[in-house]
This record gives sequence, structure tokens and C-alpha cells, in this order.
Amino acid sequence: MSVEAAVDDGNGQRPAGRPILEVENLRTTFYTRRETVRAVDGVSFDVYPGETVGLVGESGAGKSVTARSLMGLVDAPGRIEAGSSIRFNGRELTNLTEQAWRQVRGGAIAMVFQDPLSSLNPVYTIGNQIREALRLHQGLEGSAAREEAISLLEAVGIPDASRRIREYPHQFSGGMRQRAVIAMALACDPEVLIADEPTTALDVTIQAQILDLLQEIQADRDLAIIFITHDMGVIAEICDRVHVMYAGEIVETAQVEAMFDDPKHPYTQGLLESIPGRHPDADRLLTIEGEVPTPTEAPTYCRFAPRCSKAFEACDTVHPVLVPVTDDATDHEAACLLYPEDDIREDAIDRHRRAAAASEDTDE
Amino acid sequence: MSDTLTIEEQSLRQRVETNPTPAMLWFVGVLILTLLEFGALLQVLVQLLNIVVTALQLHFAAGGLTAAGKMAADVPTFLSRKVISNQGYQPGGTGPWTGTFMGIEPKWAWFLRVVLIYGYAFAWLGWVWYGYLTFRRHYRYADWTPRDDVVDRLRHHRWGMFGFVVVFMFVVMAVFAPALGTATLDQNILHPYDYNVHYWDASTGQVASVPVGIANIKSKSQGAGGNNVGLWSYDDFGRFHPFGTLVSGKDLFTFIAHGARISLLIGVTSMGLAAFLAITMATLTAYYKGLVDLFIVVTSDSVQALPLIMILILMVVIFSNTWIADVYNGALLLIIIFTIIYWPYLWRAVRGPALQISEEEWIDAAKSFGQRPRAIMRKHMSPYIIGYMLVYASLSLGGVIIATAGLTFLGLGINPPTPEWGRAINAGQPYVATASWHISLIPGLLITLVVTAFNALGDGIRDAVDPQSETGEAEATAATAGGGGA
Repeated sequence: MSVEAAVDDGNGQRPAGRPILEVENLRTTFYTRRETVRAVDGVSFDVYPGETVGLVGESGAGKSVTARSLMGLVDAPGRIEAGSSIRFNGRELTNLTEQAWRQVRGGAIAMVFQDPLSSLNPVYTIGNQIREALRLHQGLEGSAAREEAISLLEAVGIPDASRRIREYPHQFSGGMRQRAVIAMALACDPEVLIADEPTTALDVTIQAQILDLLQEIQADRDLAIIFITHDMGVIAEICDRVHVMYAGEIVETAQVEAMFDDPKHPYTQGLLESIPGRHPDADRLLTIEGEVPTPTEAPTYCRFAPRCSKAFEACDTVHPVLVPVTDDATDHEAACLLYPEDDIREDAIDRHRRAAAASEDTDE
Repeated sequence: MSDTLTIEEQSLRQRVETNPTPAMLWFVGVLILTLLEFGALLQVLVQLLNIVVTALQLHFAAGGLTAAGKMAADVPTFLSRKVISNQGYQPGGTGPWTGTFMGIEPKWAWFLRVVLIYGYAFAWLGWVWYGYLTFRRHYRYADWTPRDDVVDRLRHHRWGMFGFVVVFMFVVMAVFAPALGTATLDQNILHPYDYNVHYWDASTGQVASVPVGIANIKSKSQGAGGNNVGLWSYDDFGRFHPFGTLVSGKDLFTFIAHGARISLLIGVTSMGLAAFLAITMATLTAYYKGLVDLFIVVTSDSVQALPLIMILILMVVIFSNTWIADVYNGALLLIIIFTIIYWPYLWRAVRGPALQISEEEWIDAAKSFGQRPRAIMRKHMSPYIIGYMLVYASLSLGGVIIATAGLTFLGLGINPPTPEWGRAINAGQPYVATASWHISLIPGLLITLVVTAFNALGDGIRDAVDPQSETGEAEATAATAGGGGA
């Protein structure tokens, strides 16, 4: 955990300087003939250099669509709505042409996919695929590219790299494959690395190795990592800052210690409760009943309310926005009518109602 | 494998330099095989250059080329009719022949040449295979690649290998047509009155000379009542006709050998173009989807909605008086028509696989590191489609050959004098029930054999590329042997 210590001192302080990636009111909507799905619905967060930001949530929460939006890889019928803003080093990305996007992809923001086997093309050798990325982003060809590919494979901890560079993906074990995929992403020399569930397809011991590897790489290259997972355990292991997503929205955001010590949103509480082993004495695992709804319309209510044990009447009529959990909390926000904790319930509800109305106006 | 343990990756050239013996051995073999036919190779080159020069009207180069052509003609070629001649006469009607190879009978001289040519071609095939094995054993780093399995499956696919051998023999016939025929195309078919044939005239008891055209007229195959020169027989002028003669008295085997050339040219060129179009369209539509896809779907549907035979005939008639129809006696026109008509079928066949590939995560991964769309289509999508394309193109190729023969049969496809199998079938039609049955039957059987072989090869490739599709050889045979026609 030396990396984390370097980034923040454990007191929940964000690193100094400008964020490298600023996401503001990102809305990605899929227009199908039957319905419009607001897969990502007004998500805002910042990523600082050298920081690991976690996006956590159940399947269907919009984590992956957020990641794809950041890469400009939203396929039709989906599109990023006007009013969304993604800034990389202060440069707006949402209005880029396809050609300009290609420069950003890989070079600025690279991505590691969930299944390392299917994200490698089985008919080309590992070396071939890494060299492809090297040629695109560092202009390396021939033996220079080969040398660089070997050193990248060594950097991600693949032994005997000069031989394995000639092997095909099927000759690699699962963990080695994911290392190779990470090497491919690093070949682009990115400043932000999006890791979309990079450890989900791996077994537990390998998971830990890959997480260690990511932290090493981060320390070496001052890389910002956006880590997407549904596994709270992994979040605790690697992240500095966590955003909990639910039905296309961020419902709670905090530094990782605060999140685990004192989760505020009922959904986060539910997620933490349902980690196996947290209540060794309980007969059965605690779960959150029901499923994530598909957000098809602009919210006028709390999307979590139907599954929430603490829901009350106002939850069905007022859409909560992110507010500080207490009046003096600067770095811990939750989108729940229960907060700010210090306010009287009616005042809090009123605050949410007004904020929701205001954002509605700017959207239209 | 000692070479897989070397630490530094070397280029193929470096690898050959470290261990040159197997490669040298192979190259010596290639050199010997090339030298045997060096003269023919040179002549082909000069002819190709000549076509370019004529097309571009570079008059200053023409003189040099003529000289080069003469020189090329003097370079010895082992398997030529000059060396193993089958044309001569037998003084006195018995004993050794004059003019033929070592004085043997023309039929054996011709037979020897054919056997040697096919032996030579199979030697090349074997040597290329040996070269591949040498590369695999001595110079390739990987012990195994996915392609090895494809090749091995094809090798052990008996029906596919049958197809491969027949197709190979058909290709050899087309390539070596000038040397295989009992006489040259120019002498026997195109300009028979420009050449003389010497023969032993038994009535006068001396060697006489007659223009080939006259000899042809006296060697007609016209059924029981008239003349007939049937299978494996001589005509009155000491000329041997392995497949007999045509109605016009021309040699059927020479006609068929050159007809194979044009069938193959039309089939391969039009299927190659159609396959290229289809792969381009398939990757484009699978990558971009949406409007591009819709546009091409509508276009191909429109083409497919047209009745095939009618369009073929209409287009041939419409273009019949233009310069396009004159190139190679109508071959260019047929190539263009078949390309236009066949690409939608090929595209349809690979659209599914292409769409499937476009959903693979490595396409996303390639996009995510900023690869250009064209490179993604070429490098990450097309390798998966080319296998399917080989299958469908080889299956359709049989159809193109049948269609070409069919159009020519109707008098619409390839115009005389360029030989085309369909014309022989048409010419022999009135004599099917007579002694001259060979005129229709032999080209007909050959077309059936070649088309079946292309289908068999396609089956073999399909089972090799996609082993899951294998449903048992017998079933596959029954399912496809009938298909493929236009």
C-alpha cells in the first residue's frame, strides 16, 4: 500500500494540482425503437494524476458505459448527450471528430478489458499485438519495437519475455494474458488507464498479483487509474477514491477509508453488508432484494427507493442529488434524501428538490 | 527444438543464414525445376510485356520486345513440342516415324509429353509442400500455429483431396495448354491455312504436303454416315487425336486444353474480384453497421432479385457491339458480368461471420488503443472471413464455369475462334447418338468433373477451416455435389 500512502496521507486528502480527467454531467443514452435507456445519467467525477478512482456497482449500473463514453466508444444507437463534458488535461473530448478521438484513445486514455482471452486476437502473437500499439502511438517499428515490446512484457512481470513474445494468446495462462493486455495498454503510453473489471475473470490468487502489478505500474509512471468493478473487496485493496454507481447515477462518493468506515447511502451500506465474511456469525448472506432498474426516463424519484429499507414517502416524488453527508464534510457526498445529516428532514428534502429542479433546467 | 530457445528474435533471413543447408537444398530444387522450363517462362514474360506495350502504345519498345521474343524462343524448354514432337510421317507406312521424338509413334510421343508435363507439375507441387515442411521444421519459431491444423485437416479430407487433385490437374491443363495440345492453337484452330502438314501419301508412295485447313476438312467427325475420327485414333494425315476431332475436323483435345484456359481465367478472375468486393463490403458493413449496412443490403437485394439467366443474356446482348465484348473474344465482358452478379451472394454468405467478428472484444480492444478503422477491418476482421470466402468462392467457381459454358452453348458467351467447352457441346449436339458422340460427351463429362471437384475442394476447405461444420463426409458430398450451378 505504499502507492496509496504516496498519493494521500490517509486523511482523505485529494492530491494537489489539476485533475487530469474531469467528467461533468456525463449522460449517455441509448435510443432503441421501444425505449430510450439512460445508461449513464448525469455522472460527474474528477481523476487526478497518480490516483486510483473506483467505480463500483451491480451489473447494469452503468459502469462500463461510463468507461466506453470516456473512450468515445459508444456505439449506435447510443450517444453522449449534449451538455456532457469530458475534459482531458483541460481539453474537451466530447466534441472531437472520430479522427481526433483516435489520438486520444490509447495515447491519452487506454483501457484494459474484463476478459483477457477475448481481448487478444487469437491469430496473432502477443508480440505482434503489442507492436501494433507501439507503432501507432510511439512510431516504433522493426527491432526497436521488438525491444520495447520485450521490455514492456518484462515490466508487467512476464518471465522469459523474449521467447513468450512469439507465442499466441492460447499459450498464455489467464493471469499472464491479463499481464499481456496491460502491457498492450501501456505500449500506448497513456496517462489514464481504465481497467474494466480486469480481475473478474481471474482466480483469486492471480487477482491479487494483477492488483499489485497495477499499483507498481501506477507508481512507476504516475498513471491515473479508473478501476471498474462490482467487487468491494478489490476496491478496498486498490482504490483511493470510490464512486458508487446505481442505475446510471453516482449515489455516493468518498475517499476509500471513509466509504468503508462509514458508508452513508443505504445502497452502499447494503453493498458492504453483502460482502461475504463481513458477518461471520450470520446464518446466511445479507442481500439487497430486487434488481437494478433500467433507467428509461428522467428521474423524478429516487431510483433506489423500491429496494431501500429506509425509504419514506418523499423518496417517490423527489429526485436526490449528491450533497455533502454532513454540512462540514467536504469530501464525502451521497445522493439520498437522508442527507445532509445535520439538516432537518424537510429542509434536506427541499434542498434536493431545488437542486434537482435546477439541474433539470440546465439540461433542457 | 533448439531454435526456439534462442533468446534474440531473428528475421527469417538471419535464421536461414544460421542454418542454410535445408534452405539451400530446397532452392537448388526450385532452380532445377525452373531451368527445365526456363524458355517457356521467358516467352510468357515477353508476351505479357508485349500486351502491356500494345495496350500503352509504346512503339519504341515494340522492336526490342520482338527481338527479345525471338531470343526467348531459342532458349531451350524441356517440355515443349519442339523437344518431344508428335508430328511426323511414317515413310512406307511401316517402321520408325520421321519428325517425331526418337521416331516413335505420334500417340506415344504425345502421351509421353503429357505424362512428363503432369509429372513436372506434380513435382512442383511436391517441392512446394516440401518447402513448407522445411520452413516448419527448421525456420519457424512456433512449433504450432492455428494454420497447421487447417492444413492437416484438409490433407486428411479425402473428398477434399479428390477435389484438390482434379482442380490441380485442370489448372495444369490450362497453364500448359500450348504444350499439351497435339498441335498448337494457332496451327490447328486459329489459322489452319497458314501451316502445312507433311504426311505419307500411300497412293503416290511419297511424302506430300497439304495445308492444315484442308487436312482438317478431310478429318471431320460428322456421325456414322460421314467422316468420323473418334477417340484415340489417327486421321488420314498421320495426325493423332486423343479425343477425336470436332465437327470441323479440328483436334478436340487441343480445343479442350485451351478451353480450360478461358474457363479458368473467367472463373478465377470473376470470383477473385467478387470475393474482394464481398470481403470489403462485409467488413465495412460489419464495422459501421447502420446506414452503410442498409445501403448495401438494398443494393445486393436488388441485384439478387434480378432473374440470373435473363440478366446474363441481356447484358451479353447489350454489350455485344462494344469494345468490351471484343477483348479476348468476350471473356472480359463475362468477367465483369459475373463479378457484378456474384458479389451479393458471396457478401451474403460472409455477412453473418463478419458481424459476429465485429462483436469480438479484440475489435474493441483495437479501437481502444486508437487503431484506424481500415487497419481493424484488414488485420482483425478479414482473416476470419477469408476462410469462409475461400469456401464460397470455390463453390461458386463451379457455377461460373457452368454458366460460361452455358452461355457459349447458346452462342452468347465466348465468341469463336477462342475455344470454349460449351461451344464443343453445342457443335456435337446433333451427333450425340451417332459415332461422333465424343464431341459433346467429353467436354460435358469434363465440365461435370471439374465443377464437382471445385465443390469438393470447397467442402474440404470448409471442414478444414471450421471443423465444427463437419457433418460426415458422405452427407456433405450429397449436399453440395448438386449445387453451385448458375
